[in-house]
Amino acid sequence: MLLQIEGLTKRFGGLTAVDGFTAHVDEGEIVGLIGPNGAGKSTLFNLITGVFPPTKGKIVFDGRDITRKKPHTVAELGIGRTFQLNLLFADFTVLQNVSASSQVNPRSSLFDMYFNTRRYRRNEARIAERSLEILQLLGLENYKDELARNLPHGFQKMLGVARALATSPKLLLLDEPLGGMNPSEIDFSLEAIAKARDSGATVLIVEHNMQILSLCDRVVVISFGQKICEGLPQEVRENEEVISAYFGGEHAST
Amino acid sequence: MTDSKNGAAGKLAGWFSSRSSGLSRCVIPVAAVVLLVVIPLVVESLYNLHILIMVFFYVIAALSLRAIVISGQFPLGHAAYMGIGAYASGMASKWLGLPPGLSIVGAAVFTMIIGILVAYSFARLRALYYAMGSLFLGVAIVQILNAGGTWTGGYSGLSGIPPMFDNSKVTWYYVALGLLILSALALYRFESSRIGTNLKAISQSHLVAESVGIDEAKYRILAVAVGSFFVGLAGAGYAHYVGTIATSNYNFMATMWLFMYVLVGGINNFYGPIVGTFILILIPEYFRSLKTYSPFISAGILFLFVYLMPNGFAGLFELAVARIKGWRAGRTGNAAAD
Repeated sequence: MLLQIEGLTKRFGGLTAVDGFTAHVDEGEIVGLIGPNGAGKSTLFNLITGVFPPTKGKIVFDGRDITRKKPHTVAELGIGRTFQLNLLFADFTVLQNVSASSQVNPRSSLFDMYFNTRRYRRNEARIAERSLEILQLLGLENYKDELARNLPHGFQKMLGVARALATSPKLLLLDEPLGGMNPSEIDFSLEAIAKARDSGATVLIVEHNMQILSLCDRVVVISFGQKICEGLPQEVRENEEVISAYFGGEHAST
Repeated sequence: MTDSKNGAAGKLAGWFSSRSSGLSRCVIPVAAVVLLVVIPLVVESLYNLHILIMVFFYVIAALSLRAIVISGQFPLGHAAYMGIGAYASGMASKWLGLPPGLSIVGAAVFTMIIGILVAYSFARLRALYYAMGSLFLGVAIVQILNAGGTWTGGYSGLSGIPPMFDNSKVTWYYVALGLLILSALALYRFESSRIGTNLKAISQSHLVAESVGIDEAKYRILAVAVGSFFVGLAGAGYAHYVGTIATSNYNFMATMWLFMYVLVGGINNFYGPIVGTFILILIPEYFRSLKTYSPFISAGILFLFVYLMPNGFAGLFELAVARIKGWRAGRTGNAAAD
């Protein structure tokens, strides 16, 4: 088990965003986390990556308790993530975005960086090479010298994925990779995620676009902060509770 | 060099066309340093040397401010740290009899320690909150120095700070220039290495920076530590040069001036603070005869820069280089077409 979440709860004042959530992700698996808007999906991502601490519960990643670790430590341990909003280093070029995101592997010490040691130069050369490879993989290599802020929305999303890949993650968290994309961009993204799956990556995807289901090995459905269902994509699609969560109770009963 | 096969002319052109090569980036700074080294041999006016010495110390201060600003932190009390360096060194050599050389370095380290302690407690403050916090801290530091009685000289300032060496203008000129060159090299390396990249990444999005493994708190404290060290150094050196310091040199207005040096010079460029300090100290200085109107001239310059050159003076230079490159590329393109 690569990631294990046990009884995770997060309260913001009176609002319980995530309520006793338990789930796991195995190695090499693509798990979809779906649910209507406001169900607590993004909060869950922020809890896993340490953006804020949970009120209760435990998160174990790769055999280590990461429950109250800071985001940069979580990244170091091997969780790469994208953001729902297109957060990026807007004033860096596409290539700089990816190379600036290559902090973990290889890692240079402050001393190496400042004194331009041989190890640092070797690391930087490797990072430059790998950053280009990542851009090629995601079809961004033609835009490498473009400022990130000038990219169209869909490409910014892909750049987010490229940035997450640059951290050499053992687990990739994608927060609404299809959000705000047009149909052709969606096809392109689905293809990229499929490529990642075939190369053996472990991915946890948050999405409320049901198209993502086709890619997942397993789907977890969350509503009002609680897990309401878990299973194969086909099972989830036909689950009464899921349908009622998405379309409202009356629809389900008719 | 890519153009080496074309001989000297090709090499010269290469300096302008390939900005990535190490040599091309050196040409202008080296030329500027050579010019500054020669000036005392040519210029005999002590007044002019005095102005330049002042500029050198303030360039160090402006560069130190830049080291913090690139991390997205706006220390509105930065000049107060210059005061800490100045008073620490001045008091240590006046009251404790420390040799100035030692007290200057000691004061820089002391300022850095204060900077680190404050940065730790400010680690959770961002943007406006950080600016407000550092603004009030700066005011507090000035008030503490004012309340220091005979130790700090209170409102009338600290005078009789022991000078260094023979205290001649020419000696001070080279000491200040040496300090400036060393500081600029140290800070240039700081910014152009991955450390600088990480600081700029944090300033663009601390959430993204953390998500890829950049320790935001560590880097922000590092930036403040480095900035405080160099502003302390500038303050201490300046104090021993002028011999008399007053807290009014380190108040909020003084911080605003440091920010103006950085902004007028160009925020997107390491050389910005250097160019900005030269312009904003030299021009008002030579319009001194207008006395009460000199702030208006400074304000006018600032407006002009903001309107005409949003990337500052150094940005204008970059634009010129880009134009020359474009012109050369166009010419070779035409030649190929013929």
